[in-house]
Amino acid sequence: MKPFFKKIVQFYLKIFTKIILWRFKPFIIAVAGSTNKTVAKEYILKFLREKYGEEEVRGNPRSYNTEIGLPLAILYLDTGESSFWKWWKILIQAKMKALFSRKFPSKLVLELGVEKKGDMKYLLEIVRPSWVVVTNIEGSYSDAQSNLDDVFEEIKSLAQKLPKNGKLILNFDDERVKNLAEFSKAETISFGFSDGSEAQASDLKTTVQGQTFNFVFQGKEESVEIKKYGRHNIYAWMIAKIVKENL
Amino acid sequence: MADNNKINLSPIKDMELRASRIPGVVSLAQGVPSFDTPDAIKNAAIEAIQKGKVAKYSLAPGLLELREVIAQNLEKENKFYDFEEEVIVTAGSIEAITATMLAILSPGDEVLVPDPTYTSYQPAIKVAGGVPVFVPLDEKNHWAFDITELEKRITPKTKALLFCNPNNPTGTIFTRNQLHAVAQLAIRHDFYILSDEVYKDFIFDASEKFYSLAQMRGIRDRLVYIFSFSKAYAMTGWRIAYLATHQDLAKKILGVHDALVTCAPVVSQYAALAALEMADEELAKYHAIYKSRRDLICRRLDKLKDIFEYQRPDSAYFVFPSIKEDILQKIAPGGGSKEFAIELLEKAKVATVPGAAFGPVGENHIRMCFGRNEEDINLAFDRMESFFK
Repeated sequence: MKPFFKKIVQFYLKIFTKIILWRFKPFIIAVAGSTNKTVAKEYILKFLREKYGEEEVRGNPRSYNTEIGLPLAILYLDTGESSFWKWWKILIQAKMKALFSRKFPSKLVLELGVEKKGDMKYLLEIVRPSWVVVTNIEGSYSDAQSNLDDVFEEIKSLAQKLPKNGKLILNFDDERVKNLAEFSKAETISFGFSDGSEAQASDLKTTVQGQTFNFVFQGKEESVEIKKYGRHNIYAWMIAKIVKENL
Repeated sequence: MADNNKINLSPIKDMELRASRIPGVVSLAQGVPSFDTPDAIKNAAIEAIQKGKVAKYSLAPGLLELREVIAQNLEKENKFYDFEEEVIVTAGSIEAITATMLAILSPGDEVLVPDPTYTSYQPAIKVAGGVPVFVPLDEKNHWAFDITELEKRITPKTKALLFCNPNNPTGTIFTRNQLHAVAQLAIRHDFYILSDEVYKDFIFDASEKFYSLAQMRGIRDRLVYIFSFSKAYAMTGWRIAYLATHQDLAKKILGVHDALVTCAPVVSQYAALAALEMADEELAKYHAIYKSRRDLICRRLDKLKDIFEYQRPDSAYFVFPSIKEDILQKIAPGGGSKEFAIELLEKAKVATVPGAAFGPVGENHIRMCFGRNEEDINLAFDRMESFFK
């Protein structure tokens, strides 16, 4: 998409998204972080749909989570890729949905993707989450300091904008994420393997069939088995459990 | 280095080199897609360059966001890997194979390879001091594994089996039952399996659904799954692929990968990310076009039934016909597939790859690639029809 045309698309999508959010006022859970947003979002969607039903909860299709992707996710529209005519059609559909749609989910689980200064400010002009989940802040480059401080600042601004009655769900195994707690007036719920995490996983075992671990949260202990590999899946499961138990 | 360990230029590249010296040759030799890389991928790479995201080394196993999307895509195919510990992005699949070989082999270790199979496997094994051991495939049984033949060749020095599925050069796939039998052997005799699935997206009308050993959890500690973006997304020049394997083996391979290339080209990693996120439509388009070209090349081969016999490929973009004995003797008296292919190149101006390049069983065959456009395929067959008249 040409930059000028992209700006026009971005502008109108933002307006239509704000209209639909103003009309239906859904409860918004934002998932931010460097990675694991999609897996965490999928687990949250699964757990909340079990509790509230399929129609009541929606998330970003694929990983639509940036300045154009996020409005498309909220309006539930596909991307126009590089086709001018597809985008034109999408803008018409967006307008119709924003002004005339009669049904909208009561809960949205949205990934928010940031990579540079100012990204979060723009996304927060579109959505105001009630709860925020932060998965991790990690770098993809061998240069350890490469733009991680920028990403931290962006996510900090998200934490600062949370309302007092909101919730900030933080990965306490990640030192940068842990530090976010002091910048928010919302209640913090921590998760991780580290001691001191309110929702804590322990005794992780990897088997041929997946992983098993013990999970303790709000005084309840349970033994969990998931048929996938990698700690990120355990984090995602814990996040979804916290959300489900507290909503 | 002993003579049998000498590494020569791949016979495929050798044929391309010979072909380049003859004006007007039409090539069905090298397996290169006729398409340019899709715009969405090129644009994503340009954007990454413009945003200053490609100038630095990525982490050795690759960009986190790419590895995460790779794992998500694998999951859709019932292949489960931890993107943080078990996925390594490599500079092409041959780097993935070579790094794995260097990580697991000691000098003199043996690696089983199907016969016929992709020519570049042998040098990758030899680079690591290994010895390739050919296991003949059963041509009459649609180039299936012969499990008895495979087991016969297993020795205490056998360290791995390296194969591609769908198979290059035959364009056939290995069935679930065969693969399960291979997996049982690997467990019983304690060897690794490297499954190179570069053509997995181009299955046309196989008799059964494509099955990957990466779907079998019971062997994940000894399986290395390899996928390249080169063919599926017309990205041969970007040199980008990945491997997925159990974290213990991944750690060993990562050390070698780091020593060989530090990391895969970062611009290509962003291109690969875009391929997985945005190029589904192109992939479907290529699939339809290759299927149509497969049908075309089979129709043209049917007209040359006095010259060639072939198994209809159900995947990839190769066909591997055998040359009838009388024709072989007429065209290349006393010679084999190499002399035949050279005659075809010099007299008919059609480049193919001699079957012997893919292993002893490949002798008396030639490989033709239908990755090239229909015009080239038709021109090549028009020339061959005139030549064989």
